[in-house]
Amino acid sequence: MNWINGMWAEMVKSHQHNFHSKMIYLSLFFWPVLLFITSYFALKPFDLGSTSPIAEFFDPDDLMLFLLTGYLGYIFFWSLVQSAWQTSYERQTGTLELIFLTPVSRLAFVYGRAAGNLFEAVWLFSVFTVLMLVIVGGMQSIVWSALPLAFVILIVSAVIWGGFLNVVFLFSRDASFLFTILEEPMEFFAGIRLPVAAFPVWGKVIAYIFPLTFVLEMIRGLVVEGKSFTELLSPFAWLVGILSLLFLLTIILLNKAEKNAKETGNMVLF
Amino acid sequence: MWLTFRATFIRNLITMKRAYPWSFFIGHILNGVYLTLFAYLTYHYVFDGSLDSRFQQYADTGNYLSYVISGALLYTFSVSLLMIVSRAIISELREGTLEALLLTPSSRKGYFLGYLSQGFMRLSLEFVIVLIIGGFFGLTFSNVNIIGTLVVLLVFIVSLFAQALVLGGFMLYFRDTYLTQNTLFMVMGLVCSVTFPIEYLPNQIHWIGQIMPLTHGTDAFRQVFIEGASLSTVGTSLIWLLGLIAIYFPIGTIMMQKMERHVLEKHFG
Repeated sequence: MNWINGMWAEMVKSHQHNFHSKMIYLSLFFWPVLLFITSYFALKPFDLGSTSPIAEFFDPDDLMLFLLTGYLGYIFFWSLVQSAWQTSYERQTGTLELIFLTPVSRLAFVYGRAAGNLFEAVWLFSVFTVLMLVIVGGMQSIVWSALPLAFVILIVSAVIWGGFLNVVFLFSRDASFLFTILEEPMEFFAGIRLPVAAFPVWGKVIAYIFPLTFVLEMIRGLVVEGKSFTELLSPFAWLVGILSLLFLLTIILLNKAEKNAKETGNMVLF
Repeated sequence: MWLTFRATFIRNLITMKRAYPWSFFIGHILNGVYLTLFAYLTYHYVFDGSLDSRFQQYADTGNYLSYVISGALLYTFSVSLLMIVSRAIISELREGTLEALLLTPSSRKGYFLGYLSQGFMRLSLEFVIVLIIGGFFGLTFSNVNIIGTLVVLLVFIVSLFAQALVLGGFMLYFRDTYLTQNTLFMVMGLVCSVTFPIEYLPNQIHWIGQIMPLTHGTDAFRQVFIEGASLSTVGTSLIWLLGLIAIYFPIGTIMMQKMERHVLEKHFG
């Protein structure tokens, strides 16, 4: 099985590459936790009582639970942006050519990288989430049986998203720019800190660009609000649509970039 | 010292014109603009302007938008300034010019001041852009105490410079910029009264905010810029800033000297 080998090799490689120093735990654990705490307190100056305008969308007492699920999803997606950003070094140091000379499946390489980084990056924050739930006492409102399904949705979407980002970062000169522009709007509009339903119409339109919006809607629906899967078919359909589009784009870009590289000897596409 | 100052200034000016990664520049501005924009959206569209009753008491102002926008303004300013100064030596190391620098008898003071004053050209441009955009989203200019603001900013810049020397020492020690600087910036975002008053945080971590120039800088800036208070009302913040300069500056200078030797032994030994 060629592609499993390729995927596994890429996972081992990125593990060795990332974990050579303990400092990695700063960005894996300390940063997400700081980010979470900062956004929790940044909402404090607002009226979070029962008279608050936000109370019609969710119970302000559940703010912690809402933010925890939001940031859990965000960390899954964000860790992949970080790993994709490091992928561009692969081109700069010339090892990308070596990989492309081998008969390994290109898709396996791209998704292996995304998956490998994902598991390592998120387990710590997942543990943190569970600990916080125990401390703030949100355990009883969680539908445990829906948890596996929620995680599958989260992981699959994050990996497809990450694979797409890997490809974008591999073949562009300075994609970190894209990251600078899009990262914070995603954090705001995808409904991590505030419910999308509370946004004005144009805000909702922006929110629906990001697959994370639908992932969060599904996770919160399944795990926190205890909805059944059939009640969440509409966000699910949107999510599948966006992810298939991303998957298609990944394949097209990969092929185009390789063709371009063969013709011009240059890995940079845009 | 002035020869080194001029030389560094001119060299960096040429670098900025020809090879500066402008995505940094836009990144810093966007950072401030996003903080402003999202605070505005949250305030107007999501919460309809309803604030927590304690906000007025903690922040000394009921004007949430001006509070957050001035926080965002000084936060981006600090991040930029800290990055410019603290990354100086480690960039020389990475670009391979450190050896040449160490071989000359140039004054380090002149070198860092040259770095800062050249970087200041970019800094002030960023500052003005975020300030203007902040004006559109609700930052008030009606009560500004101009002289007070200038004095506060001057003391604030010197204190950030001193802090940057210490940060630069850590960067050289860890031989890393990305993790070191961003960890500090994230901590600053939490404990320095940038988007919410420090009083909301548990008492046990207030001291982290107290040792950051940004906390006192934003406090004083808000008083003189938004409320138009006189300099005497922000005396405590200014004394704090001067105290931090007195602590960070000698520590930073010594650290830089030590680290230069450390790097020299490790890389060229």
